[in-house]
Amino acid sequence: MSAAVGVETWTGEDVRLADVDSALARFRAATATDGAAQSLRTSVMTHIAWVPGEWADRARAALAGMAERHPSRAILLFPDPDAGVDRIDAEVTVERYAIPGVERSVCSEVVELRLLGKRAKAPASIVEPLLISDLPVFLRWRGEPPWGAQELHQLVDIVDRLIVDSTEWDDLPYPYRHLAELFERTAVSDIAWARTSRWRALLASLWPGVAGVGAIRVTGTHAQALLLQGWLRSRLGRDDIALEHVEAERLEGIEVDGEPAPFPPGDPPLPSDVLSDELDRFTRDPVYEGALLAVAQ
Amino acid sequence: MAAVAEQRNPLEEGLSFRRTPDPFALVIFGASGDLTHKKLIPAVYALALRRLLPPRFAIVGVARTEGSDDSFREDMKQAVQQHARDEFRQDVWDELAAAIHYVPTDLSDEGGENALAELLTRLDGELQLGGNRVYYCAVPPAAFPTIVEALGKRRTATGWTRLIVEKPFGQDLASAKALNAMLLEHFEENEIFRIDHYLGKETVQNMLALRFSNGIFEPIWNRQFVDHVQITVAESIGIEGRAGYYESAGAIRDIFQNHLLQLLSLTAMEPPIDFTAESVRNEKVKVLKSLRTPGSKSVVRGQYGRGFVEGEEVPAYREEQGVAADSMTETYVGAKLYVDNWRWADTPFYVRMGKRLARRETTIAIQFKRAPHPPFEETAAEGLRPNVLLVHVQPDEGVSFAIGAKVPGQGMTIRTVHMDFLYGGAFRTAMPEAYERLILDTLLGDGTLFTRADEVEEQWLLVDAIVATWTRDRPGFPNYAAGTWGPPSADDLLHRDGRSWRRH
Repeated sequence: MSAAVGVETWTGEDVRLADVDSALARFRAATATDGAAQSLRTSVMTHIAWVPGEWADRARAALAGMAERHPSRAILLFPDPDAGVDRIDAEVTVERYAIPGVERSVCSEVVELRLLGKRAKAPASIVEPLLISDLPVFLRWRGEPPWGAQELHQLVDIVDRLIVDSTEWDDLPYPYRHLAELFERTAVSDIAWARTSRWRALLASLWPGVAGVGAIRVTGTHAQALLLQGWLRSRLGRDDIALEHVEAERLEGIEVDGEPAPFPPGDPPLPSDVLSDELDRFTRDPVYEGALLAVAQ
Repeated sequence: MAAVAEQRNPLEEGLSFRRTPDPFALVIFGASGDLTHKKLIPAVYALALRRLLPPRFAIVGVARTEGSDDSFREDMKQAVQQHARDEFRQDVWDELAAAIHYVPTDLSDEGGENALAELLTRLDGELQLGGNRVYYCAVPPAAFPTIVEALGKRRTATGWTRLIVEKPFGQDLASAKALNAMLLEHFEENEIFRIDHYLGKETVQNMLALRFSNGIFEPIWNRQFVDHVQITVAESIGIEGRAGYYESAGAIRDIFQNHLLQLLSLTAMEPPIDFTAESVRNEKVKVLKSLRTPGSKSVVRGQYGRGFVEGEEVPAYREEQGVAADSMTETYVGAKLYVDNWRWADTPFYVRMGKRLARRETTIAIQFKRAPHPPFEETAAEGLRPNVLLVHVQPDEGVSFAIGAKVPGQGMTIRTVHMDFLYGGAFRTAMPEAYERLILDTLLGDGTLFTRADEVEEQWLLVDAIVATWTRDRPGFPNYAAGTWGPPSADDLLHRDGRSWRRH
C-alpha cells in the first residue's frame, strides 16, 4: 500500500454527527491550499464495521490492507453499552494519498465512533446520516452477532451486505440457524466460506469421482469443516456425507474417503484480500446459503 | 459412474474460475530488440508474478545475434529488473527463467528454421505443450514474409497456432492487402493477432464501459446532443532516434492510421450485441466504412521547427539525426472528419496528433451542445462553457465532466467546474501494462482487442485518400515551433466552424 502523504485527525467527546460531518468537510477543503484543487474523495461504498472492543486491532488492520482496492468511507462502531455514560466519542481521520503523475491527491475517510451507554442501542440512526448517497453499504460484524438484539436488526435493514466470519463463533452449527433467518433481508458473506474457495475449486475438479464421497476429513476451523460438508451435501443432493473435523487455525487439508486431496496452488490470500473479494459481490450467494442450510438443520 | 460423468458438475456452481491458458510455447522473433526487452518479457514476468500463466509453458527467443540460453536469460533478467512495473522477485524469476530458451538463427538462411523446430519438438515432448504455439513477430515488416512462410510450412499436427503481428500493417492499402494476403495464405484470420497496443490500455477499454454500462450517456451520445468531438494524441517527445522509420511513415501512418482511428471507432461505434471479438470488431468496421473522405481543406499537416519543451531548447525535425534537411515528412496532422450515419450525421470529429507538442496527452472530449436558453443575465454566465465529457487516456487516466455551477454568494454567477473520476484515485491499484493484457488475451485466443484484416484495410483506404491530396501542395515546413500545439492552420480549421481546440 502506498504511504499517505498527509493525515488529518480530529477527535471529540460527546459529539453530534454534524461535528463529524464538519470535520470531514473541513479536512477535505484544507487540502486545497494556495489555489490548488481539492483532494478527490472517490468512494465506491460505505463500509461499516461493528467492532466489540476485543476486535479493534484486527478490524483496523483489515481496513488498512483493503483501502487499495476499495476506497470508501469507513465507519467503525465500537459499542460500549456498559460505559456508565451515554454519549458518542469520535475520531475522524482523513488520509491523503498521492496519485502518481497527478498534482491532486485522493483522500480516504475513516470515522471511528465509540458508542457509549445507551447510544449503542440505536446504531442505525447514528450511521444513516453518514452514509454516502447512492453507494452500496457493507457491514462487517466482528464476532458472533447478538441474534435477537435490536442493534443487529437495525443495521441489517440499512445495509446491502452483511459480512461475518463464522470462524469467530462458538457452538457451531447452532448460530447458523440464526444467520439463515437474515438471508431474506440482506445478502450475507462469510469469510470462513470464502476461505474454502480454493479448496472447493479443487474438490470440484475431482468430478465425477467425488460424486460418491462417503466422508470427508477436514483439518481447519470448525466453521470451514461444517461449510464444506454442507456444500457437498447440498450440491450433491445427499445428506449422508459424514464429517471428521481436526481443529486447526486455518484450512490445511481435506481427505475424501481417506484419500488426501492435493493442496491447492498458490498462497492463501491475506485477510484484507478475502474481505476485499467479498466487497466485490453484490448479490446473494445461493451456493453458500445452501451449504449453510444443509448443516444448520 | 458413466451416467454421473455425463451430468453437469454441480460442484462448479458459484465458483469463479479464472481462465488459464493452455500449455504453450511462445516464440519471439526479434528477441534481441527493444520491444522484447522493454515490453514483452516484462509483461510475461508480470503475468508469471500474478500466476496467470499455466503450469507448463516455454518462452523461446529467436534472433540472429549469437547467444545461449544462459546469456539470453541473463539479458532478460536485466530487462525485467529495469523495465517491469513490479518489484523483482527472485523466486518468480527463477521459475520463469527455467522456461526461457534462445535460438540464434536466421530464418532467411537455408534450413535456418531447423534449430527452432527441433527445440520446439523437444519442448513439446518434455513439457507436454500439446503443439500449442504463439509466434510473436517483433521484427521489422520486411522480415515478416520469411518468418511467416517458414512457420506456415512447419505447422504442428496438434494444438493451436497464433501469430502476433506488430504494426505497421503495411504502408498503404495496397501493401496492407498484400500483407494480409500473405498472412492468410498460411494462417486463418482467427489465428492472426494484429497488435495495436492502445487497445490494451485500461482507459481505452473503459470507453466501452463508460458508454455501455451507464444508461445516462447512450441516449445523449448522438448528433442531437453532441456538438462535436475532439480527439487528441499529443506527444512532447521527438522521434527518439527513429528517423529511418519516421521519415517514411510520418504522423499519419505512425498514429492516425492505427491509434487515432481506433479511438475514433470506439467513440462512435454502435453498441455491440455482446463483447465477443467479432461483434466488437464488426461495429468498429462499420464506423470506418462510414467515415467521409475529408477534402483537402479539412486536413492540415505540420512539421516542427526548433522550440522549447519543458524549458529545454530542442532541435527542429529537419535537424534530427537521420532526417533529410529538406524533409517533407509531417510530424503533425489535424483533421475534421465526419461519420456519415444516422447517429453522427453532420457532427464533426476534430482529431489532432503530433510530435513535440506542448505536452503529452491523449484525450477524447465529447463536447455537448449549449443549454438552449440559459435564463440568467448574460454577464452571470459569461464564464460558462458547454458541458464536456473528457476521457483521459494518458496520462491522468480517468474521466472528467465539466458542468456549470453557481458561485456561492449573493446574486447568480455561473462558472464551469469539473467533476473528476481518476483511475488512480478510485482504484488505487497499479494498472496493468497494455502488453500484459494483450499477450494474455492471445494465449486465451481472445481477439477482441486486436485489429481484423478488413479493419486495417478500411483504415488505409482513408489514409490513402488523405495522402493523395498532399501530392498537390507543398506546405512551408517547418510550420510550428516545438513545444506548441501545432501549426496556425490547425487553429484555423476549427475557427472556420466557430470552434477552437481545447486548452487546459
